[in-house]
Amino acid sequence: MTNSFLNIANVSKAFTTPEGGTVHALDDVSLDIREGEFFVMLGPSGCGKTTLLRSIAGLEYPDSGVITLDGQRIDDLPAYSRPVNTVFQSYALFPHMTVGQNIAFGLEMEGINKTETAKRVSDALDQVSLSGLDKRKPSQLSGGQQQRVALARALAKQPKVLLLDEPLSALDLKLRRGMQIELKRLQQQTGITFVFVTHDQEEAMSMGDRIAVFKDGKIVQLDTPQEIYRRPVNSFVADFIGETNLLDGIATADGVQVPGGGFIARSVIASDCVVPASGSVTIAIRPEDLKISDGSGSLKGIVRDVIFTGETVRVHIDLGTTEVVAHLPSYGVRVPDRGETVSFSPLDQSARTVAS
Amino acid sequence: MSKIVRGRPGQTSPWLAIPTIAYLFLTIGIPLFITVVYSFLQRAKIGMGVTWHFSPKAYKDLFILENLDGTTTFDTRYVKVLWHSFQYSAVTTVATVVLSIPIAMWIATRNESTRNILVAAVTLPFWISILIRTYGLRQIIDDNGPIGWIAHKLGYENFHIIYTPIATMIGLTYVFLPFMILPIYASAERFDFRLAEAAYDLGAKRWTVFRRIVFPSIRPGVIAGIALVFIPALGSFLQSDMLGGGKTNMIANVIALNFTQARNWPFGCALSVLLILLTLLLVQAIRLISKKFGDQVSLV
Amino acid sequence: MGNIKRRRASYAAAIAAATALLLTACGGSSTSGTPTAADTSAAFPTSGSGEVHLYNWTDYIDPEQLTAFTAETGIKVILDTFDSNETLLAKLQSGATGYDVVVPSDYMVAQMIELNLLQKVEPATFPNGKNIKPNLLNDIYWDAGRHYSAPWMYGTTGIACNTTAEPKCANIKSWHDYFTAGLPKMDSLKDQVEVVSAALRATGVAPADLCTTDKSKYAAAADLLKGFKPAVIDSDSGIERVIAGTSNVRHAWNGSTHRMKDKVPGVEYIYPSEGLNLWADNLVVPVGAPNLDNAKIFINWMMDPAHAGAESNFSGYDNGITGSDAFMSDSLKSDPAVVVPADKTALISAVPPCGQDARDLYTQVFTTWLGEQN
Repeated sequence: MTNSFLNIANVSKAFTTPEGGTVHALDDVSLDIREGEFFVMLGPSGCGKTTLLRSIAGLEYPDSGVITLDGQRIDDLPAYSRPVNTVFQSYALFPHMTVGQNIAFGLEMEGINKTETAKRVSDALDQVSLSGLDKRKPSQLSGGQQQRVALARALAKQPKVLLLDEPLSALDLKLRRGMQIELKRLQQQTGITFVFVTHDQEEAMSMGDRIAVFKDGKIVQLDTPQEIYRRPVNSFVADFIGETNLLDGIATADGVQVPGGGFIARSVIASDCVVPASGSVTIAIRPEDLKISDGSGSLKGIVRDVIFTGETVRVHIDLGTTEVVAHLPSYGVRVPDRGETVSFSPLDQSARTVAS
Repeated sequence: MSKIVRGRPGQTSPWLAIPTIAYLFLTIGIPLFITVVYSFLQRAKIGMGVTWHFSPKAYKDLFILENLDGTTTFDTRYVKVLWHSFQYSAVTTVATVVLSIPIAMWIATRNESTRNILVAAVTLPFWISILIRTYGLRQIIDDNGPIGWIAHKLGYENFHIIYTPIATMIGLTYVFLPFMILPIYASAERFDFRLAEAAYDLGAKRWTVFRRIVFPSIRPGVIAGIALVFIPALGSFLQSDMLGGGKTNMIANVIALNFTQARNWPFGCALSVLLILLTLLLVQAIRLISKKFGDQVSLV
Repeated sequence: MGNIKRRRASYAAAIAAATALLLTACGGSSTSGTPTAADTSAAFPTSGSGEVHLYNWTDYIDPEQLTAFTAETGIKVILDTFDSNETLLAKLQSGATGYDVVVPSDYMVAQMIELNLLQKVEPATFPNGKNIKPNLLNDIYWDAGRHYSAPWMYGTTGIACNTTAEPKCANIKSWHDYFTAGLPKMDSLKDQVEVVSAALRATGVAPADLCTTDKSKYAAAADLLKGFKPAVIDSDSGIERVIAGTSNVRHAWNGSTHRMKDKVPGVEYIYPSEGLNLWADNLVVPVGAPNLDNAKIFINWMMDPAHAGAESNFSGYDNGITGSDAFMSDSLKSDPAVVVPADKTALISAVPPCGQDARDLYTQVFTTWLGEQN
């Protein structure tokens, strides 16, 4: 699938801060979202991802740039005539209407007849497993149920694109995991293109077909979760996506010398990475790629903390100038003690050089 | 033995309400009682006041007119005055609602410091005596005032507002506007504007967003405002007196007349009782309406 | 200015009435004082010490005169003000007030005497009592012989007409002409007694018969009023409206007319041929006055022609003291609106307050007329 369904071309948007400064929420962003994909926009708060989502929805108008949906230019249309719908972070359920009336509202606006509306309302409620709750008021529902109503309300409109603005951030962890799976399943069932905004990288990884990582109004990296995880383009992405040990070192002919800690051989650095012959480089190594090897490792340090989390044991190792974290399996390997000096090295091909 | 403190924190002792209750009893309860009692008495032969002889004449006089030619007919004069008062108050209420909603919404969407300044500005007229304000308004809408001057320049030779029912209603609207703006603002300030965005997103146009989403949310404020405007407007007399040219009588003007020039206190009291009963009826109606919508209206 | 007091505002009166309702309700109905006969044989004092408490209409006494009074007599004047006769009555009826001298209008003096609220101080026997104008001494309905009251300002209620703006002023010679003129820019007072009595006069009721209870007479007055639709019915705004040119013909107090003339020289005061109502204010001493001697000294001082003339200059009304015109300003004494021309004196009569039945008929005619306006 390479055809462009939702195309964002050179979109920029600046805000004036109360202090009089200018913030570039979106800085010449271009992006292609494919039909039927689960697209995630990820980044820390203030990175522009929500502004872009609201620009697609029509709740915000970009200063420049073009947004095209299914061949139709939409950036100059008002929100009410765009074939997209939003699930809001706050849910934004109408408190004076019942669940059924909330869902029917959008259909009424389209002028859909009563019978059809009733059917679509009940279908939407079925889809989100809330059958029979249509007479309730939003205030009588739990947070998770309200979330589902918001989803049903947007889905009932059968939009070409469903925009989700951090919809799960208010839910507790367990409920959030459940909803993640459910959303993913819903997206596959309906085939609707989902554009999902989140600042939670784990959520992004587990749900997105593709992820766009935003920083300061720009897209830093756009790729599949696996690629972004395995091949972060810079230290920001490496650090933001998953846990990463970033080690600053000096390149030599054989590898990278880490001040105070030891040496990283070229053989453990991924072959697609270019290691210069000299100068300073930053090496990124995922904690699960560090292996403690009795005495034979190229890096050395003192164990500062050993934390058992269930699935893994997190070992914090002090290299003198910096600290690294290694994840060990919680059983089957020897776990070093606190204060013990250990030697360790990255797995082959696991370390990457990253642009700072 | 230590004293056990009953009640939850934040709960005040019922004894603290006693001064207020006593005050209200003294300032509302007793005068109300006197009004009702006096309405069933006879007038004093001389001077002001009443004599202590029971008489239902005041109530009879509300509706039955003994004509100067000796015939007796149904007296439409007071019904008519009441109807006019009702009309002026209704128009005033509608005008204040229409004027208040945009301004209240606008204030509610400003940032906090601007909001505080604007709310203070709304209450600014209270700093000046209502008499002086009404007098000022009279200068403005007078034929020789700025409005008349503009109308004249525009070629409306016969333009005339002052001393008409319209002037009375302009005066009432002017005086009661803050009483509508403030409760609507209080509701609008609590309104979650993301709801309006959601409605917009679901395909609703501006007017529909207002009608279906915004208005139901500010409705408690509107209903409270109606109670705060319509009922006092019904009992107003200053505006009809000063701006209506004394020709657009409201019920309170007739009541005042009976306490002064006509010196018929029992009749003035009977008219007051009638007005109180009508007001009670209105309050009940407003209550029922707000109940129907399931709104929380704190003022009625 | 003094004639502000005649621009009675009904809202103020209503507030006063509401207050009175409470006051009288709280037990003021029976006044226990009895009139005390003054000892007239004693030599009349001309100076004293301490204070005299005066309760007067707003802006109705010259402050400079009060200073002069204190300088001459050594008595300090404590001034308090009211805005209607009814306020004054309510206050006195509610019990001891500490006032030494109060200023009621004619009909109110009569009522206060009947309610035993006044002291019989015999002002006519004071040294300056001889100055009381003869027509304001014995031939007055409220206090014939002046046993309780000394004269203060008086005035009439007639018709003010702007002859420059309205040439047809010349055609208005009577109340009947006024009510049937049908001219543009006509205003009326909002005063039940003035409007209805004028209508009664216009339909042939004699001045002495203005408190008739003959319903047919009221029916005729009501019929006349039916066709009378003034632009404005208002007692407050007369002067400013005439000056602004929005009113040319109006039922007006003579003091107001005098002030209109200041700005609009074409205004004339018409003495209608059926006669005019006279009102007269008075200085009286209420029962329970704490400084009786000082009150007498004050009243006597004010009956001095020079002092009475100065008060007329302040208020714009004529007063009841012979010889005071020598001390009046030229514009005042030359104004036929203020000083009644000799050929018009016969037209003027003070109207005693009517009984309850007549008053009801007044109210009925007045409210019916008001109700027909819109």
